[in-house]
Amino acid sequence: MTAVLRRINVVGIAAMFSVLVLWELSVRTGLVTFEYIPPPTRVVAGLGEIISSGELTTNLVHTLTAAVVGWAIACVVGVLAGLALGLSRATWTYSMASVDALRALPIVAFVPVAVLLLGFTMEMEIVVAFYAALWPIVLNTVAGLRSVEVRLLEVGRVLRLGHRGVLWKLRLPAATPFIIVGMRLGLSVSLVLTLVSEMVGNPAGLGFALLQKAQSLQPEQMFAYIVVIGVAGIVLNAVLMALARLLFPGQMAASGESA
Amino acid sequence: MLETSVEPVGSGRASLECDDLRVTLAGAAGEVDILNGVRLSVASGDFVSILGVSGSGKTTLLRVLAGLQQASGGQVLCNGIPVDGPPQGVVTVFQDYAHSLLPWRSVRRNVALGIEDRLSKSECAQRVDEALEMVDLQRAADEYPWRLSGGMQQRVQIARAIAMRPSVLLMDEPFGALDAMTKASLQDQLQQVQALTNTTIIFVTHDVEEAVYLSDRVVVLQGRPAAVGLSLEVELERPRRQVATKELPEYLKLRHEVYAALGQASAQ
Repeated sequence: MTAVLRRINVVGIAAMFSVLVLWELSVRTGLVTFEYIPPPTRVVAGLGEIISSGELTTNLVHTLTAAVVGWAIACVVGVLAGLALGLSRATWTYSMASVDALRALPIVAFVPVAVLLLGFTMEMEIVVAFYAALWPIVLNTVAGLRSVEVRLLEVGRVLRLGHRGVLWKLRLPAATPFIIVGMRLGLSVSLVLTLVSEMVGNPAGLGFALLQKAQSLQPEQMFAYIVVIGVAGIVLNAVLMALARLLFPGQMAASGESA
Repeated sequence: MLETSVEPVGSGRASLECDDLRVTLAGAAGEVDILNGVRLSVASGDFVSILGVSGSGKTTLLRVLAGLQQASGGQVLCNGIPVDGPPQGVVTVFQDYAHSLLPWRSVRRNVALGIEDRLSKSECAQRVDEALEMVDLQRAADEYPWRLSGGMQQRVQIARAIAMRPSVLLMDEPFGALDAMTKASLQDQLQQVQALTNTTIIFVTHDVEEAVYLSDRVVVLQGRPAAVGLSLEVELERPRRQVATKELPEYLKLRHEVYAALGQASAQ
């Protein structure tokens, strides 16, 4: 509990609140007169509206489901692909040119392709989220497997750990912090790309709601959605890190992400 | 699992020997002969130090004995069996302890690394405790190694090696990166470990005092490519003491001889 409390940045939170107060004051006193930038209190009211109408829950569940399912599949596929690339010279030689070419293309460019193939569906969103998260996970897994020090592999030989032992006791644990970094990056891009696919493709979820609120001139609710999206990203990342610290305490502590 | 036991093959008569060992390594300027005609025979339970000036090939020799480096000619026999990769019953302790320990494992689990799959849980725990006790690390058992001092980290590596119950322990300048005080205390701890386990130890160092103080025999590598230039029996009484032993006339005489042999080596 004290560890959790210590992680809370009191000064940072205070600074954030002062900015919000400043924002509120400048709108109220007429210092700034943008018609479509409501003060924080009105955004809070907008949040109340979308909560009580129930649309927030529906949209939030829709978007998070698509993003997290796509990301989870990417975790499994990405780590396996990373293992194949990182452990087998032949796979690396044959595939790396394609991997580099594919990941260099902006992921957004694949959204219309996914819409064309799968239509305005949640499956389309999942595929986009999957594709977005795949690359950071694959590449970080490969980098992690390569990060094992030569000396440690010699220790493995001297202690006669065998190929399986070296993989499970040395290579994978050494790669774990890298894989976690890949998963964190993947999680944030899959959320972003899910929102994009809802804005330009499937008319559902938070992405579409954001667009709708802007077009129907309801800035309070639009800003409320922006806040929700931001908080969702923070919460997802925090949950992932808590899980990582729980499952891999040694690796996380050794890489400076102590519990 | 390849083996179910980590007991020495020759049960008690372990020895390591090599004859006419040659090693050529590929360097930036083509092939370099490192060792040429190294002949060495280490009897079971002996403590042998290998000395040489910097770059004389002592680490290379140890790596060949460890099965980590292929010889270009000649062969290494461990208990009479030709070495082709790290042999059973031979464990190497490296100088760079920080890179040789698994940072994500506690001290206890680092020490268990080589035996956890081969022994039952209780046997493994017992061996680990035993090894930690020998190097006086019980209290740090649940720490991560990177939280410990250099001397303690090196003791973790030594405990990991003795938990394997090796017949031969190969040590590559194990105390080279430590301060004088820590070094002296680890030397004495190593003496004790050897007295308890009767392990054969081959110890590479560039420290003449350390070599004479610890060894039954000091071997000096000379020449380029290197061969054994001097092989000197050290018949000082055991257990040896940091101050008393180092004041003995025999100790001083041996030390002098080794320095002379090294001086010759560097002059070449």
